[in-house]
Amino acid sequence: MDTLVARYSRPTYDETVTEDMEEELLDPVASGLSLKFAMPPVAQPSSWLRSATDDRMNPDCPIKIAHGTTTLAFRFQGGIIVATDSRATSGDWIASQTVKKVIEINDKMLGTMAGGAADCQYWLAWLGMQCRLHELRHKRRISVAAASKILANLVYSYKNMGLSMGTMCAGVTKEEGPALYYIDSDGTRLAGNLFCVGSGQTFAYGVLDAEYKYDLSVEDALALGSRSILAATHRDAYSGGFINLYHVKEQGWEKHGFSDTNPIFWKTKLEKGEFTNVTSELV
Amino acid sequence: MADRYSFSLTTFSPSGKLVQIEYALNAVNQGVTALGIKGKPTKPLAQADAHANFLPTATNGIVLATEKKASSPLQDPTSLSKISLVTPNIGMVYAGMGPDYRVLVDKARKVSHTNYKRIYNEYPPTRILVQDVARVMQDATQSGGVRPYGVSLLIAGWDEGVLSDEELEKLQAGETSSDDDEDEDEDGNKKKASGKTGGILRGGPMLYQVDPSGSYFPWKATAIGKSATSAKTFLEKRYTEGLELEDAVHIALLTLKEHIEGEMSGDTIEIGIVGPPAHHLLGMEGVEGAQGPRFRKLTPHEIEDYLTNL
Amino acid sequence: MVGKDCVAIACDLRLGLQALTVSNNFPKIFQYGDVLLGLTGLATDVATVSDLFRYKVNMYRLREERNIAPSTFANLVSSSLYERRFGPYFVSPVVAGLDQKTGKPFICGFDSIGCIDFAKDFIVSGTATEQLFGMCESLWEPDMVRLDLDFRTLFPPGIFFYMMILLKNGQLNHDVECSTIMHIICTSDLNFTNASYQSTFATGFDEFFANNLNLLDDLQCPEDLFETISQALLNAVDRDALSGWGAHVYIIEKDKVTKRLLKGRQD
Repeated sequence: MDTLVARYSRPTYDETVTEDMEEELLDPVASGLSLKFAMPPVAQPSSWLRSATDDRMNPDCPIKIAHGTTTLAFRFQGGIIVATDSRATSGDWIASQTVKKVIEINDKMLGTMAGGAADCQYWLAWLGMQCRLHELRHKRRISVAAASKILANLVYSYKNMGLSMGTMCAGVTKEEGPALYYIDSDGTRLAGNLFCVGSGQTFAYGVLDAEYKYDLSVEDALALGSRSILAATHRDAYSGGFINLYHVKEQGWEKHGFSDTNPIFWKTKLEKGEFTNVTSELV
Repeated sequence: MADRYSFSLTTFSPSGKLVQIEYALNAVNQGVTALGIKGKPTKPLAQADAHANFLPTATNGIVLATEKKASSPLQDPTSLSKISLVTPNIGMVYAGMGPDYRVLVDKARKVSHTNYKRIYNEYPPTRILVQDVARVMQDATQSGGVRPYGVSLLIAGWDEGVLSDEELEKLQAGETSSDDDEDEDEDGNKKKASGKTGGILRGGPMLYQVDPSGSYFPWKATAIGKSATSAKTFLEKRYTEGLELEDAVHIALLTLKEHIEGEMSGDTIEIGIVGPPAHHLLGMEGVEGAQGPRFRKLTPHEIEDYLTNL
Repeated sequence: MVGKDCVAIACDLRLGLQALTVSNNFPKIFQYGDVLLGLTGLATDVATVSDLFRYKVNMYRLREERNIAPSTFANLVSSSLYERRFGPYFVSPVVAGLDQKTGKPFICGFDSIGCIDFAKDFIVSGTATEQLFGMCESLWEPDMVRLDLDFRTLFPPGIFFYMMILLKNGQLNHDVECSTIMHIICTSDLNFTNASYQSTFATGFDEFFANNLNLLDDLQCPEDLFETISQALLNAVDRDALSGWGAHVYIIEKDKVTKRLLKGRQD
């Protein structure tokens, strides 16, 4: 049964991408899959939404969006490492320590989640659907470039309406090799080797930049991703919980655990002699 | 010569004296005699008070006594009062100039609130109040444009100790062997019960004299005013350790009798006592933890009773 | 937090600037003689206010030749804070100590301008206040006593069972020891319904009880309080983004103050 499903659901790789083929997918309206959202009955829905949901400019806003995250992804010779924390906060309240911030768009591509949890979850799932449709229509896997552009165009169409996302799309294709894109709700879409996104991004960059090389072995790359998240969870109040670690390869992604930071932290401190700023004995 | 150093500003004479202060003491020594006698603080009292509202039989405390002299037979004697309440547990009496005393009572009452009650929400221990009053008096010896107060004060009060019952017991056991003070604390001198405070930790009755210079002394019994010297000699003979309050009142009256000019009656004698909490003076009932004042003045009627038993 | 003849006070160790954790060794509890003060709020004010009270308490000690009592200190804190009514220190203090004379636990909390909140169970303050209230409300109980394993084996269940019968029949006095044991019986998870215990231990009880009264001296009231306050704090700060990174716990007994470090989550 599984083999049957695999045979028919597996996309074909032999054809190359052409720009015009993608075009209809870039516009959700054109693709006939436009979603109809109920809009607030005001003259300027976008500015109203902004005042109601943006809690940095308006701390008393009625709609509190879960913020605070550390996510990272980097390209290296063995593919792409994707790592995130797992904390969800609403204000200072830790709403969850076990959020899955890596979204499995399909079995070849991953998206990460920072900003509004609902926005990310919804649109990355939607992106998964678009990618599948692309596969069915074109009989081959979508490129990461194309997939990320679908998302970027989508969020751009909702610009200034309060969407809050900072996401990364990671995938490996034959044509592109390991490909990594950063997309945020402003409409930014960037290709790059290395991104950290979220309130803890600076702390993660600190560790990642210091140790990063494209030639990293898989083992070292996984360790570096994990260590960067650990550093961010330590210093950033809004990051914490578990380290969610993925390795994206050409054959698809591979999960490398969802592990509690607490034992990892103390192991790192006590066995490797790092984090000397933390006291473990009463003086 | 003396005249050259008799400015209102207190100024040292070449011999190192502050004659203004000596003059103030002269004013005190012309004043009507006042005396105070302290009873010995004992544990049963503290314990009984803490746990019950009845008057313990072994009453201990302090007596302040003085003569109330009307300058004219036409004066209304009831309006005259020389013993004053400062806090619920502290009162005082004076020898010397009446108006100066009244000002000091005002300041003492005020200072006990501003410097203490308003900060700690409790009344100052006797020594703290004494120090505050002494500072007021000392200030008058060092400030421009003022003269020293022409009074000596006897301040009597009761302090709530901080030692637990066991610690008090231990302390008392130690005391019988080595009379007060000295290094008697075997258990690591964590809480020294004997300092210059006369046992602020232990609590109990406290009797202090404050002079115009601002110096103050703790006493077991003393007298100030016109016949202070002879009264003290008398007290030295009569005073014994562990005096009960009743006996102390008795001795106080006897001492006054030796030196008084007019007749002794409830109207001419004033007595203030530090004793068990006087719950009948509290003015309210049924409030948990509320304690009546320990310092109270005896009514003329009560004084008459003591006088008939003299 | 109040225990049986003891009190405890605990704080986390984080010093943060919004989301940024600046230090993970910033204790917020200060000891002044027998009294302990916890200060949450603006770090600069925590430092200033703790120094201010050190000065005030030292002056008190010099002037009065005695240590300040917890209740007196509480009133000092209150009046000192209200002095800054129109430009307050941004702190919410907590005071804990044992009354010097009676040994009774004393705890209270304050708002930033000195309103005292006297409590007989627990006081919480800081960013994790809501979480702490939840933890304390559920974990705290009066006169907490820990039922040690040793204690259980030394007092076989049958003894408890027999005692319960005696207590029920009024054959045992409800003095301190008995009420303590009753408390253990009621809170323990031992199964007393087994009737066979009755016959096994009934005969030797009086003797056994008389010989083992000293076991009651080893009851771990402070230990249980420590466990309770620690669990309350750690689990509360684990739900607050701005608290945690380790904790200090002080247990105050009659003539002993024990300080412990809790290694909490570092995220």
